[in-house]
Amino acid sequence: MSSLPLHLIPSDGRADEPAPPRAASGGMPSASGAPALVAAPAPAMAGPPAVPGPAPDGAAARGVLAAAVQAVRQQAVALILGAWSLGAMVLFWHLATTYRWEFYIRFNNLPTPLEVAQQLGKAMDNTKFIHNVGMSLRRIGIGFAVATVLGVGLGLAIGRYRLLRQLMFPAIEALRPIPAIAWVPISIMLWPDNEVSIVFITFIGAFFPILLNTVAGVQAVDAVLLRAGQCLGAREPQLMWHVVLPGAAPQVFTGLAVGMGVAWVSLIAAEMISGQFGVGYFTWEAYSLISYADIVLGMITIGVLGLGCSWLIRAASRWCLPWLVYSKPGSHA
Amino acid sequence: MSAAMNARPEPGPDQAAGARGQIVIKRLSMSFGRGASRVDAVQAVDLTVAPGEFVSIIGPSGCGKSTLLNVVAGFATPSEGQVLLDGAPVTGPGPERGVVFQQYSLFPWMSVRKNVEFGLKMQGVATSRREQTARTLLGLAGLLAFENHYPDQLSGGMKQRVGIVRALATSPQVLLMDEPFGALDAQTRVVMQQILTNMWQKFRLSVLFITHDIEEAIFLSDRVFVMTARPGRIKAELPIPLPRPRTAEMMSSVEFTRILHQLRHLIREESLAAMGHELDAGGLEGFATEVGPAGVQQIV
Repeated sequence: MSSLPLHLIPSDGRADEPAPPRAASGGMPSASGAPALVAAPAPAMAGPPAVPGPAPDGAAARGVLAAAVQAVRQQAVALILGAWSLGAMVLFWHLATTYRWEFYIRFNNLPTPLEVAQQLGKAMDNTKFIHNVGMSLRRIGIGFAVATVLGVGLGLAIGRYRLLRQLMFPAIEALRPIPAIAWVPISIMLWPDNEVSIVFITFIGAFFPILLNTVAGVQAVDAVLLRAGQCLGAREPQLMWHVVLPGAAPQVFTGLAVGMGVAWVSLIAAEMISGQFGVGYFTWEAYSLISYADIVLGMITIGVLGLGCSWLIRAASRWCLPWLVYSKPGSHA
Repeated sequence: MSAAMNARPEPGPDQAAGARGQIVIKRLSMSFGRGASRVDAVQAVDLTVAPGEFVSIIGPSGCGKSTLLNVVAGFATPSEGQVLLDGAPVTGPGPERGVVFQQYSLFPWMSVRKNVEFGLKMQGVATSRREQTARTLLGLAGLLAFENHYPDQLSGGMKQRVGIVRALATSPQVLLMDEPFGALDAQTRVVMQQILTNMWQKFRLSVLFITHDIEEAIFLSDRVFVMTARPGRIKAELPIPLPRPRTAEMMSSVEFTRILHQLRHLIREESLAAMGHELDAGGLEGFATEVGPAGVQQIV
């Protein structure tokens, strides 16, 4: 059984990505590790797995190199294509606005990329723009944080206890389809000041995706892991913290990523409708003041901020769930 | 059974309090559902595992072996009867009964060492001490080099070794194993069986082992119980008088073969009975000529 892969690996020159290093670290030592215990009573059995081949080392190294070269090549291709697609978009924008294209769509009022870039330079110099960005980030920060704490906390409880689920889910299902923007008028009436009501809208946007994904994540935790935890002496709170939460974590992060996107949509809408300050307000105000370059600057700022926030979530997910890299889809543990 | 048990050395420091780890299953019945849809999984099972004894239960698939183990583990409450561990009734899962599951049950988000430490952590054992215990146990299982790996980086046999070591970390009095090697390939299985007997002799705990592999049951056990097709009852009890430590060569000995034939015969009757319940009488006609009288009667 050990001779077969020996011949297979070298002949199959272009071994693909992470397989060769893992095979080398996973398979080999198991062969050298097992006999340690077996050796005394059954030397005969220690035979077959204990044949460590010197050959696969070289083959594996070559495989790793090939995989690395291929990875770099793929990355380079992706980078070039990415630059191309962005460049083409800016070029189109530049041509359309510089030559004031006008067919059914009218580009004649739109600012050119250069004007927007100059506007950015000006905006960075005055504190108003920075203040607007800061306000939006603060609202997202607070609304999203509250949504995370409540959504994950409630999601864990609802996902784990059937009675609680039956009690709360009908109410949640009734509120969920109402988009966060539809909450704007009520929110203004509900909360004492404008600032809190905008944060509330942001919270509403993020809350439901986080809650529902957490519930689904908890319900998908493998029952055998819960049993394993119980028979190792974990009581309910420990089980919740050490087994249910980490077991649901991948899906909780999915909820956070979706929730972050919806939170931005809701925030910008709320700022445009009822706001003072914030990037959404800045963009809408620019429209009212016929400051076209600022509109596009606002749009791009919103996009960049949203991108940054979801990057943060992805980074947090990678940092919190390093094990996920190794898990094969569908198989847990 | 007693010959094999007596042959083992004095109890170690872990068991200084005297012989512990006795499992008594008393008139245990387990049924699911009510009325017409009621299924009797286990019926009136009496079974005792002496302290330090290795007992296997074999039977056709669906005979309620796993149900029985789940009751002993405390995951299910019996419909009738009870399970006593050292005289105290079992009411729920607990760390004094280590369980090794059929599926891999390691926490994928914890490193191998953290998995092994889990039970001790739940008991509030200090970090340095549980780390030491985990490393000692992993060393015994030849897995120390993998202490910082995640379970998904290990092979099936290694995962199951970690599972055994994790169950042993809290120094349980009994180890309950539900077809732990069922998902492994034949070679790995043989190695794992050897590792398990070594571990068992080192830790001197009682083991209740569920399997459908007859040779595995003989190789490992002091006594083997055969269960009937559903509803699962104890059909036979066979002491395995093979000396210990057991080696692979014993598996071709006359004694081993004799027990193997005996158990195979008992199991075949039950497997056919189980199939006979599922299929209509005509479905098994071709087989009927080959089987003993009990099987034929069940089918035709």
